[in-house]
Amino acid sequence: MPDQRISRRSLLAGAVGTSALLTLPKPAAPAVKKGTSLRLWILKTYVEPTNKAIEASAQRWAQKHGASVTVEYFTFEDMQTKYVAAIENKSTPDVGQLETGAPARFSGMGQLMDLTSFARQIEGQVGKPPANVAPVTMVGDKIYALPWYVMAGFWYVWRDVFEKGKAKLPNTFEEAKQAAAALNRPKDNFYGMGQSWNRTSDGYGVMQSLMYSYGASWAGKDGKYKSLKTPQMQAAMKWATDIYKDGIQPPDTLTWTGSGNNENFIAKNIAQTSNGPSITFALENALAKATDAKDRKAKEKALANSVALPHPAGPDGRRMWAIAMSFGIFKSSRDPEASMSLIAHLLSPEETVAVMKDSYGQFAPVMDKARAASKDYFNKNDNYRTFGRAAEWFVPTGYPGPVTAAAAEVQASNVLTDAAAKVIVDKWSVDQAIDWEDKKIKEIYDTLRG
Amino acid sequence: MRPHASLWKRARIREAGTALLFLLPLLVLVVALIVYPVYRAVWLSLTDKLVGYPERFVGLKNYFYLAEDDTFHQVIKNSFVFTVVSVGLKVVTGVLMALVLNNVIRGRNFFRGLFLLPWITSTVIIALTWRWMFDAFPGRGFFNSVLLDLGLLSRPIAFMATPEGAMMAVIVANWWRGFPFFGVSFLAGLQAIPRELYEAASVDGATAWRRFWHVTLPGLKHVMIVTTLLSFILTINDFNIVYVMTRGGPGTATQIFATYSYQVAFNQLRWGRGVTICLFVVPILVLGIILISRYLLRDKK
Repeated sequence: MPDQRISRRSLLAGAVGTSALLTLPKPAAPAVKKGTSLRLWILKTYVEPTNKAIEASAQRWAQKHGASVTVEYFTFEDMQTKYVAAIENKSTPDVGQLETGAPARFSGMGQLMDLTSFARQIEGQVGKPPANVAPVTMVGDKIYALPWYVMAGFWYVWRDVFEKGKAKLPNTFEEAKQAAAALNRPKDNFYGMGQSWNRTSDGYGVMQSLMYSYGASWAGKDGKYKSLKTPQMQAAMKWATDIYKDGIQPPDTLTWTGSGNNENFIAKNIAQTSNGPSITFALENALAKATDAKDRKAKEKALANSVALPHPAGPDGRRMWAIAMSFGIFKSSRDPEASMSLIAHLLSPEETVAVMKDSYGQFAPVMDKARAASKDYFNKNDNYRTFGRAAEWFVPTGYPGPVTAAAAEVQASNVLTDAAAKVIVDKWSVDQAIDWEDKKIKEIYDTLRG
Repeated sequence: MRPHASLWKRARIREAGTALLFLLPLLVLVVALIVYPVYRAVWLSLTDKLVGYPERFVGLKNYFYLAEDDTFHQVIKNSFVFTVVSVGLKVVTGVLMALVLNNVIRGRNFFRGLFLLPWITSTVIIALTWRWMFDAFPGRGFFNSVLLDLGLLSRPIAFMATPEGAMMAVIVANWWRGFPFFGVSFLAGLQAIPRELYEAASVDGATAWRRFWHVTLPGLKHVMIVTTLLSFILTINDFNIVYVMTRGGPGTATQIFATYSYQVAFNQLRWGRGVTICLFVVPILVLGIILISRYLLRDKK
């Protein structure tokens, strides 16, 4: 039998060799075959320059590698429809931008590639996401997508209106309601607040910020169903429905579609509302198009007076629901290696910052290297400093648990906002509405497979 | 067997084969475009199909679930209110339009074309336009602006903020889009009624109202039934107007079969249940079609 003992010399030689191998620079991204062709699906937002910037970034990758990328857009409106049709018709893209609930939903369907080792591989190049954002892209200990940015809603207020009415800029939901009552002038068609519980993220997103900040949730830390029938939920629902009872909002607030809050805020019909930085985009854009000095002065004033605050806090803290957009690779991808290379390119600090600069603050990067690289950009003014902190306050759907397919379905079923509408429109009691909502949510958790 | 009979049989087989050959393209189309989709929809309604997962047979579970679902109860009520009121309004205005056009001698074709405009305009444009008309945004909504300018209001009315108002708004938009179809169909029916019947009724001393009741309406009966049935089917399955104008809101006040089915199938990803929502209405429609067809055939005999 040969001697199997290892000599000290060979052990040292082995250790040195291994260390040398480990210190060698790893390939940052997988190799790309020349002439490869990819389909990339991205979200088209109201901020057109961002859409163009993402497309331009993808084309830079294609040019660099002698490849081609076909960029296809989806909007918030048709995001689900497009992915559903693609999944059922087996025509998913190579790389797709995914919203908060999609990694959990699509990986459960077996549609997404496991990117755990790829995420580790490019960590040196792009960094890591913060601990509160990372779970959005994970199921168990596997990573199915790489987060890129958080698109949050903020609490927009008119500073001049608050100052004139001697109202304090709201830090909590309760303060926001008090300020609304103080600033309300319905006779002049001016209202203290405009918060719709409609079927857009301006509705269900704020509802979740409100619920989580009041300590209410339908899921536990383990992601399993938990009864919603709690005093915390009662308090949250009371706030959500009281703002409709007290006449402090325009009477048609509940019927606003996606742009109702933007329009009413910009037209100064309301003192405060929740919305993404598209309000800042609109005001900055208007300023850029000012026709003369007087017009310019008025638009500068409007921009300076529009203050974006984080969503108000509740008795349990400040928890901002937001949309976390990530990139996933579909198993049907013709070239997974090239897809990974494209994601690594898009997520790199340089490309992220290039895109972010055209986003008017709507696009808050999450990977730590991109966040570090974007510090100067977000130092532009107070509003941008707030936008830049979106990832800090971020909580996902189904908080405090991880994002699950069931949690995503609860949001998609509109039950969160419909429950409030039951109180406002159908005159149900708060408890009745919570019972109804709780029953619906339990049914989703009980019957969802996968 | 006699040779003559055998020849006759062979000729019949050949004839049947030729007939089948000619019918084959149509049969393929019917199977591919009607039979298979209907079979597939019925099958999916008997499964717990989720997007991305294979379907599993669950029997009538989806039907039982919906039978107990309070939102679906509201959807049934909304769908019937939306459909019956819209179609009722279309019948009345369609008859009026046809009567007016029938008496217009000069420019009848021009007016006929003009009245058809709502019917040929994109539904999404119509829905957006009516949404704008009912808007409560100061200085923008058409009705509010007019009423405020006339001094009849001091503050805008939020037409679509209440369940009744929102339902009224979607009904008005659907009525406006659909009434020209009724008008043009009724006009064609009116022109087919023999003039002599009116002359005879006049000679007998019938008033205009009696002529309308006893000559015009019976003469229009068949056109009216077919048009109403077609419109009922199209309206109860409508999606665009409600989705664009209210998204089924406020709350679930205007949620109808198609919009609820869309939400369940595409947002909640529950295809089996989503398909079941739409299939619930099929037996009612089939029954209606059978009853009306039998009535029309009986009348013909």
